[in-house]
Amino acid sequence: MKFSMGKYMKLKQDNFRYGWDKAKRMKVCYLFLLPYAILFFAFYILPIMTSMYYSFTYYNILEPPKFIGLQNYINLILQDQVFLTAVKNTFVIAVITGPIGYILSFLFAWFINELPRWLRTIAVVVFYAPSIAANAFVIFAYIFQGDVYGYLNAFLMRFGFIDGPVLWLSDPKTIMPVLIVVILWMSMGTGFLSFVAGLQGVDKKMYEAGYVDGIRNRWQELYYITLPSMKPMLLFGAVMSITQAFNVCDVPRALAGYPSTDYAARTIVTHLFDYGFSRFEMGYASAIATVLFLVMILCNKAIQSMLRKVGT
Amino acid sequence: MSAKYGNKSIAPVDTVVIEQPQKLSRGRFAVVALIVAALLAAVIVAAGLRMDALDAMMLQVEEGALEQEALPADAPYLVFYRVGRALAIGVLAVFAIYAIIRIIDPKRRRPNRSVWGDIGVYLLLAIVAVAMVFPLVFSVAASLKPLDELFRFPPRVFPQHVTLDNYSDLFVTLSQSWVPFSRYLVNTVLITFVGTAGHLVVASMAAFVLAKYDFPGGRLFFSIVVTALMFSGYVTGIPNYIIMSRLKMIDTHWAVILPAFAAPIGLFLMKQFMEGIPTALIEAAHIDGAGEFRIFWTIIMPVVKPAWLTMIIFSVQNLWNANAATVIYSESKKTLVYALQQIQAGGVARQGQAAAVTVIIMLVPIAIFIASQNQILETMASSGLKD
Repeated sequence: MKFSMGKYMKLKQDNFRYGWDKAKRMKVCYLFLLPYAILFFAFYILPIMTSMYYSFTYYNILEPPKFIGLQNYINLILQDQVFLTAVKNTFVIAVITGPIGYILSFLFAWFINELPRWLRTIAVVVFYAPSIAANAFVIFAYIFQGDVYGYLNAFLMRFGFIDGPVLWLSDPKTIMPVLIVVILWMSMGTGFLSFVAGLQGVDKKMYEAGYVDGIRNRWQELYYITLPSMKPMLLFGAVMSITQAFNVCDVPRALAGYPSTDYAARTIVTHLFDYGFSRFEMGYASAIATVLFLVMILCNKAIQSMLRKVGT
Repeated sequence: MSAKYGNKSIAPVDTVVIEQPQKLSRGRFAVVALIVAALLAAVIVAAGLRMDALDAMMLQVEEGALEQEALPADAPYLVFYRVGRALAIGVLAVFAIYAIIRIIDPKRRRPNRSVWGDIGVYLLLAIVAVAMVFPLVFSVAASLKPLDELFRFPPRVFPQHVTLDNYSDLFVTLSQSWVPFSRYLVNTVLITFVGTAGHLVVASMAAFVLAKYDFPGGRLFFSIVVTALMFSGYVTGIPNYIIMSRLKMIDTHWAVILPAFAAPIGLFLMKQFMEGIPTALIEAAHIDGAGEFRIFWTIIMPVVKPAWLTMIIFSVQNLWNANAATVIYSESKKTLVYALQQIQAGGVARQGQAAAVTVIIMLVPIAIFIASQNQILETMASSGLKD
C-alpha cells in the first residue's frame, strides 16, 4: 500500500513536472490567452463566484455585506410566495417553449435543407429574423392590446368568438399563454442556424449508402443517419435553448408590465431584477441568481446525457 | 436493374427489396395541379371583385349616400372573402414554389417523399413562415399608417394611405428631448463599434491558441467557457454592477463594452471554426521562421473571415440592443435603444411613433444578417459541441 502510494505520488509529481515544462515551452500560448482570460475572469467567473458569496450575506450596497448563512435561501423557499410563483412560471415557460422551440428549430431546419439555395436563404432569414430583430416583440403589445383596437380582439369580435374585448395582457389567466406564444415566435435562434449549417454538412454519401442498406423513408433516414451525424450541433442547440428558456425576462417585462397583474408573468429573472435593481437587496437577489444558475447547469447535464443516446 | 450511384454502377442487392411508393404519373399530376391552380385563381379573382364592390358600398353607407339596410346580404361576411382570398393566394404560392422546385431540381434523391407529402411540408413551411414574418410586417405597416387609421375600428393590417408622418414625428419628438437624438446614436454606435472590434481581436487570439495548440489548462479553460454560454446578462448583472463600481466604471461606456469583449459565444464559434484550419499551414509558417503573432495575424486571421462576420453579428446584435439602464445613469451617455424604449413607453398617443421606432431598431441587425448570411452559415457548420 505504502509502496503503491509512493509510486502514485511520484507519478503525479512527474506529470506535474512534465506539464510545467510544457507550459514553460508554450509560454506564448498563455500570452495569447491572457487578455481574454482576464476579461472573462473579471466579468463572467468572478461575478458567478461573488454572486455565490453574496447569497450568504445581507447586502444592500450602502452597508458592507453581513454574513447571515442560509437565511436568504430559507426566506426564498419558505417565505417568498412570489418567488414560488416565479419558479412555477419559469418552469412552465421553460418546459413548454424549450423543447417545442428546440424541436421546431430542428424540424424546420430539416425541411428547408433540401430547398434550392436561394429559397433556403430566404427561409433562413424569415425564420431567424424574429430572434435577431431586437425588441420587435413589443409589437405584440398592439396585437394583444386589451381594448377593441387590439388586433386580436377586433378579429375575434368580428367573427363573433367573443362579445367584448379580452384583456390579454392584464388578465392573469391569459398572460402566460400569450407569453408562451411570443417566446415560441422568438425561439428559432442560434440553435436553428447551427442546425441549418449542420444539415448542410452531413455527408451525402451516407444517405446513398443508407438507401442501399435498406432505409425506406425519410424518418428512418433522419433517425439513423442525420441525427447521429448532427450530434455536436444538437448539443450546442440544447445549450442555447436552455439558456433562452430559463432567462425569460424582457418579454414579460415589456408585454405584461412590471410588475404584472397578480405577479402572473413573474419569472425567476424578473424577480431577480426586482430585488437587485429596484430594491437593492443584492444578497437576496444573488441567492435567486445562484438558484437559477444551478438549475440551468443541472438541466444542461440531464439533456446532454439524453442527447448522447440519440440514434444509437 | 442496376442502380447508378455517382459514376459507379452497382449490381442490384438481392436481399434488400426497395419499395417504390405509388405515385401519380407525371402527366396526371400536372393536369390535377393545373385544375387546382385554375380554381384557386378563379376564387381569388371572384373574391377580389366582390370585396371591391362591397367596399365601395360600405364607403357610400359611411358617407350617408346609401342606407344600411340596402346593403346586400353578404356584406357582414366581407371578412370571409378577405380570409378566403388570402388563403387561396397562399395555396397558389405554395403550388408555384413547388412547381419551381420541380423545374429547377427535377432529380430528387431517394428515398423520396410522396408528392402529397412534399406539398404538405411546403404548405406547413409557408404557413409558419407567414406567421413568423407577420409581426414584423405588421410593425412596418403600422409605422406607415396615418393617425386615423391607427385608431380605426375594425383595425386593418395594411395602411390604405401610406405616410411617413410617424417617422417625421419621431424626429420632432426626439429633437425636443433633453439630449439631442444624435447623442444617443453616437453613444450606441461607439459602444457597438468599440465593443465588437475589441471582442474580435481578444477572442480570436484566445481562440487561436485554444484551437491549434495543446497546452496545459487549455481544455479546462475551454470547458469553462462552454459552461459560460449559459450565463445570461441577468445572472451576472448584479455582481457585475458591484465589480464595475469597484473599478469606477459605473456611468461610463466601458461598463457595457468590457464585458462584451469577453462574450463566450464569440470565442466558442471562433475556436470551433479555427479547428478546421489545417495544422500543416501553421507548421509550414513555423519552418519559414514566422513568430506566433505573425502567424496569427497574417495567416490565420485572413482565413477565418467567415467566422469574423459571425462574431460581428452576434456582438452587434448584443450591443446594439443594449439598453444598459442598470449601469449608465447620465442622460447624455444613454443608448439609442434606451431612448427609443422611452418613446415606446409613451402610451397610446405615441403608438405610431413606437412602431416607427421598432422598425428602426430591428432593421440594423436584420440587414447585417442578410448581408453576411452565407459566411455565418459557413461558420455555424463547425459550431457543434463535441463531448
